[in-house]
Amino acid sequence: MSLRDLLRTAWRGVSTNTLRAVLTMLGIIIGVASVIAMLALGNGARAAVDARFRSLGSNQVQIGGTMTFDDGEFTQAGEILSYEDGLLMPDGVELVGSVDMSLGGSGKARFGRVTVDTPISGVTANALERVLSSGEVQPVNRSEDEAFTVDDFLAGGRFFSSSEVLDGASVCVLSWETANDLFGGDDPVGQTIWVNRGRCEVIGVIAELEMVNESQRYYANPNLGVYMPISTVIDLLYEDEPSVFITAYVTDESRMDEAKAQIREFLRERHSIEPDADGEYADDFNLTTRSDVLGQQQEAANTFSVLLAAMAIVSLVVGGIGIMNVMLVSVTERTREVGVRMAVGARSVDIVLQFLLEAVLISIGGGALGVVVGILSIPLAASLNQGMALLEPGSIPLALFVSVIVGVLFGIYPAVRAARLDPIEALRYE
Amino acid sequence: MSDEKKVVIQTDDLTRVYQIGGTTLHALRGVNLAVYEGDFLALMGASGSGKSTLLSLLGLLDRATSGKYFLEGVDVSSLTRNQLADIRGRRIGFVFQNFNLLPRFSAWENVALPLAYRRGELDVDTQRKLAMNSLSRVGLDLRAGHQPMELSGGERQRVAIARALVSHPAVILADEPTGNLDSATGREIMNLLKELHAEGKTIIMVTHDLSIARHASRICTMRDGILTEGEPTYVAS
Repeated sequence: MSLRDLLRTAWRGVSTNTLRAVLTMLGIIIGVASVIAMLALGNGARAAVDARFRSLGSNQVQIGGTMTFDDGEFTQAGEILSYEDGLLMPDGVELVGSVDMSLGGSGKARFGRVTVDTPISGVTANALERVLSSGEVQPVNRSEDEAFTVDDFLAGGRFFSSSEVLDGASVCVLSWETANDLFGGDDPVGQTIWVNRGRCEVIGVIAELEMVNESQRYYANPNLGVYMPISTVIDLLYEDEPSVFITAYVTDESRMDEAKAQIREFLRERHSIEPDADGEYADDFNLTTRSDVLGQQQEAANTFSVLLAAMAIVSLVVGGIGIMNVMLVSVTERTREVGVRMAVGARSVDIVLQFLLEAVLISIGGGALGVVVGILSIPLAASLNQGMALLEPGSIPLALFVSVIVGVLFGIYPAVRAARLDPIEALRYE
Repeated sequence: MSDEKKVVIQTDDLTRVYQIGGTTLHALRGVNLAVYEGDFLALMGASGSGKSTLLSLLGLLDRATSGKYFLEGVDVSSLTRNQLADIRGRRIGFVFQNFNLLPRFSAWENVALPLAYRRGELDVDTQRKLAMNSLSRVGLDLRAGHQPMELSGGERQRVAIARALVSHPAVILADEPTGNLDSATGREIMNLLKELHAEGKTIIMVTHDLSIARHASRICTMRDGILTEGEPTYVAS
């Protein structure tokens, strides 16, 4: 039989009982849809992790305090990771050349009668360079291929210097929208504003920025906030000295593990952490490098893949068994038809192909509907996963391919059974 | 045996033995039959006499236990399953008691079915043209687009006869072709078969009804697996 005749015959078989065919597809639809949605979740999570840690250079060690969950709130475990820890680190650790420190918080900024709630970032002098080198944001209306300098990121004035950071100078740099909110378009540079209960001089305004990645523009606004020297923020915003976030720059990239060991030793000494009876240290800080993050990400992705594969296999097998069941019923119902076809010259392979094609039509129909349902469910999946779901384009051909395989795998037995029928018995079948 | 007539079917000592459980059933006990081109043979016999078994063997739906079967001079006993299917499609036309048309396929699609199973020789347009020719031969070309459900019993059997004719077979095997029809419609079908016979078609018809059998040009009777020429002796004529 020609392929066209075969397809027509198989289609006739499926469309004869549309409801049954669609119900049979259900397992495949759910299986394929979950594969599409889960792959989209994995893809989205990976993209988000990539974006978040892109700024983490390969020669950097990020150091943060360890938090413990105590009496319903997070508290610092052991001693805080102090500003002083950071200041002394380049001298105290052989492999660390320099450090950056940062501290995030929020407060009120006031100029004249205008008060705004704003994020307040305590940072060191080259914070703007780090924002620049992260590649996550760029000045608005610029092509993303351009190479930017720090000056491109400043709308006016300057960023604060290292000595201003060390001195705890009362200076600040405003983000674009915060400057507009406070000054309504007037030039803020040289003016004095209040941040909580302290005064500081505005020495610069950051240019209007946007996320490089368009999909992130809806939920990330880089134009809000006040940047101040970290020492100033500690004085201004906190009664007790807070833990800071330290980024250490290692002088020799090939000795990252050694550098981490040195940093650990340095901080243990400063925090007086002694080994317990087993020789274990109860560190109150933790170190993260790019290879750590990549390793964790890889691990998470692998766990995800296993879960996903298990779910896909279960639903596709269930769907496949459904197809086999329906095809067995269909073969029984059409025993006489098989007999007639054999009598008028159908060979075994013709019968096999007819029923196999019918099974594949059902499974590929389920696959196609599953792809549609899967794509439609991505926004739902994203809302359950902090907006992180991105259609993995390769998942569509994969899903269709898998559904064809399921159709063939579970359709072959009923088809072969039909082809093995004795034509005489089949013709007599009532 | 006349020399000018071509032998279509010849069997030599054909037997068919079934093993059912522990019992051995001799359905055919050495059948010798020669059917010539243009014959209209009625095969009679009581149920269980072996006539259906013989028809299945002649239609290549079954294989003999022993003996030889020559169809158009070819010994078919050694052919493969696929070769048999191919010969069934090209050289044998079946007409069944219960019509055996495919539901949800139009009359012409049913008629074209044997053509569709020929390996890639005929495109759909040719299939349709040949099917329409065959349907007009049985007077149903105006009903070509109807499905079996929309046709009367007599019309269905004529569609089935058109299907048997479409590949210009060497022999038409009809198994109780009027068995499911009222007597008036049955006569119509018998007249059609007689017309086909008059055109030179070779027909073998199984029936248990002597009045039907007498439409044929020749009658053979099966009894206990043995074939004899002539009407059954136990039926009063």
